[in-house]
Amino acid sequence: VRTENMSAWEKNEEIKIFREYLRIPSVHPDIDYTPCVEFLKKQASKLGLPLKVYHPAQETKPVVIITWKGTQPELPSIILNSHMDVVPVFPEMWKHKPFSADIDKDGKIYARGTQDMKCVGMQYLAAIRALKSGGATLKRTLHVMYVPDEEIGGHLGMEAFVKTDDFKKLNAGFSLDEGLASETEVFPIFYAERSIWQIHFKINGNAG
Amino acid sequence: ATNDTNPYWVAFKKATDEMNLKIVSQVFPGGTDSRYIRALGIPAIGFSPMNNTPVLLHDHDEFIAADVYLKGIQIYQNIIKSLANS
Repeated sequence: VRTENMSAWEKNEEIKIFREYLRIPSVHPDIDYTPCVEFLKKQASKLGLPLKVYHPAQETKPVVIITWKGTQPELPSIILNSHMDVVPVFPEMWKHKPFSADIDKDGKIYARGTQDMKCVGMQYLAAIRALKSGGATLKRTLHVMYVPDEEIGGHLGMEAFVKTDDFKKLNAGFSLDEGLASETEVFPIFYAERSIWQIHFKINGNAG
Repeated sequence: ATNDTNPYWVAFKKATDEMNLKIVSQVFPGGTDSRYIRALGIPAIGFSPMNNTPVLLHDHDEFIAADVYLKGIQIYQNIIKSLANS
């Protein structure tokens, strides 16, 4: 039964798209985001939706937005945000290669970014695909946003982008972004977050 | 605010209630890009539809189960529909 499931999962179109995204090694440091942008362009074109690339801070730090225009585009829009970057790996500590996106017999998909947060980035598009093919119409415009550098503070990504006129023009009313996995049945919903305070000590005098 | 004064929260909660999802509101333990959005006064919620899953972000052997991933797509369909029609 497990093997049958495994082959069903491998053939599933949404799983295929997800694994393709996981195989792009958008891993710190010195990330080349070009393969992510190219991949997202392909996804947008398959969905028949327009895509725009912004560079709020630097040419090498793209912000990608796929837009599904609502029937009442004057209403504030909904942002569906995710980041494209992932934190580094120690490959020797992994059971599966961290950018191969292997599926095991239990249906577990292994890769850096499966939880944080390429899953969410592709689930947004999969949900939109299902809604579109079901003939749904939405009142508000959706902006599916892919940003760089979240894992190093977002200074050349989201932090820079929210200060631009391009962001203002999105007329965002609400945003969804990543949460965390939960070991129980209950889903945590995060409405705020802790501030990160880093204290630097400067100490003069002779070392002890 | 996660209460009735925020129409987006009402729409989000309506969708999760209709799916009988158990949710709990929390403060995120670290920093995400949501903080830059909230700083502009735009409400932002952090949510990844991954329950019954060990917390492995930034860890070795990070994984998601295929069925959890596929269930998450259905969850987003309902949440997106509810938010975009609110």
